[in-house]
Amino acid sequence: MNILVLVKRVAATQEENLHITGDGKEVDLSKLPFTMNDWDTYAVEEAISIIEKVGGLVTAISIGDAESDEVLRRAIAMGAKEGLLIEVEDILHDPFVRASLIHNFLKKENIVFDAIFTGVQSEDDQFASVGGILAALLKLPFASMVAGIDQIEHDVMVIRRELEGGLQERVKITLPCVLAIQSGANEPRYVSIMGIRKALKVERKIFKGDAYGADTKTMIGIMKWVYPPKKGGATILTGELNEVCKELLEILQTKGVHQ
Amino acid sequence: MSYALIIGEVRKGVFEERNLDSIGICALLQKETRLLIPDNTYAMDERLIDTIVKAKIAEDMFLNPINLANMVEHLIELHGNPDCIILTNSSSGTEFASYLSGMLGLPIITDVSDLDKERRVFLKSYYSDKLFGEFALVEQRPFILTVRGGSFKEHCVEKVNSPKIEYIDNFAVNDSRVFLEYVEEEKSEVDITKADFILSIGRGVGNKDEVSGYGELAEFLKAVLSGSRPVIDKMWLPKARQVGTSGKTVKPKVYLAMGISGAFQHIAGMKDSDCIIAVNKDANAPIFQYAHYGIIADMHKVRDQLKEILKG
Repeated sequence: MNILVLVKRVAATQEENLHITGDGKEVDLSKLPFTMNDWDTYAVEEAISIIEKVGGLVTAISIGDAESDEVLRRAIAMGAKEGLLIEVEDILHDPFVRASLIHNFLKKENIVFDAIFTGVQSEDDQFASVGGILAALLKLPFASMVAGIDQIEHDVMVIRRELEGGLQERVKITLPCVLAIQSGANEPRYVSIMGIRKALKVERKIFKGDAYGADTKTMIGIMKWVYPPKKGGATILTGELNEVCKELLEILQTKGVHQ
Repeated sequence: MSYALIIGEVRKGVFEERNLDSIGICALLQKETRLLIPDNTYAMDERLIDTIVKAKIAEDMFLNPINLANMVEHLIELHGNPDCIILTNSSSGTEFASYLSGMLGLPIITDVSDLDKERRVFLKSYYSDKLFGEFALVEQRPFILTVRGGSFKEHCVEKVNSPKIEYIDNFAVNDSRVFLEYVEEEKSEVDITKADFILSIGRGVGNKDEVSGYGELAEFLKAVLSGSRPVIDKMWLPKARQVGTSGKTVKPKVYLAMGISGAFQHIAGMKDSDCIIAVNKDANAPIFQYAHYGIIADMHKVRDQLKEILKG
């Protein structure tokens, strides 16, 4: 089984303060570490564990600048056979443009596959849209929020989709298909720095994005970045840690959940 | 006649409350609304809608991207292009919205939580609500949105007349994706929705070895331990203890959130708690916007100090 996995290099912002610069035009990411989008690590793991069972190969594909080579190497270290970079200079915010670029690339380069996996969303823009748009452009069946793959046959898979409040649905989907894999679907394998370094020996192919984006016009644009709208806001307890903790326990008492 | 098309999200015979956010944004945009649902009986306030289109299809085959796309194309043949197509930012909502965008070649903006009508911009979350982008359409043309739960429902208005009812049945049903069954969550030893006092831990916990210390703190406090998505995904706590849209919705007397930054999917599962206390080292963490009390500190230090005091 040939599985393509789309991987994205994103800024690791979970533990960071973000600053808007240039009168709302830019977000300063210059001091942040970058990494493979968390959801994509689950997509890569899912693909690798399938080919380990049924045979085949996994190819990682990324759209981004030259630095995105890093996430291709990571995917290779996890078990992907090769990495393909569609190199673009600008950040493409419009998910339609990203999906079209991949669609054009797959067609023009005649890339064959049985399934395409993506993460459900990327940590930065949370659009959760590239997989669905790509599936429709390719006229293939699509499922998102895939929490597990229960059964794989020659031309069909049985998968579980996460719905709401702990509920899932089991669906049968025909191959080839596009699946967006949800975080928690598996346990992404650990790769060492050595492993990523070794991946340097595996060839990564670079394709210039211009060759595949000729008819892709952005349909939406970011006018401005803003900080989150202020809601009520919390009363912040300040002082020595010991005092703050005592104050916290007093609040718990007042609320009747602590003696 | 121009109209907004709302895809009704229904599950197990229930018209989901979050549909009110789709209806609300249409009222805000002053669009005539056409709501597409399966031809079943659903408890809903029909006066909020201008036209209800009932599709002759089983409910569990309705929220299926290919079938829905066929229904929408059929509706476009009958009534022309809608000005916009609205869904909610749910599992099925985002799944279908993106598929439809690719099918019809229309712009999509997901997780919209506000809009500025004058400037024609939509507010969309980035970086787990640490920032928002103001998005605009490059050209005026039909567009697709998914809206964030709770963001627009207060804008719903009752119409003067009862809705018109239309039926569609002449659309293709595809078998390349077929619903098999619902899978309920396994029964668990604890029901966090029944707890008065919840101690919840998030990504900030850092690694698995730290988790047991919070179990002890929860015991000391007689609180029930729960977690946000990253903690559950890493299997540091069982799924039954997940708070958020894909886990449980809780309303305890006190919700003590430690190391949880406050992604919206989490907030949606706990925002109605009587008292929310947040501990986070990032003063700008979104959770402080929803909390009543906040402590800006390293969660582990707070944990250890609390245990120290409680032991003494």
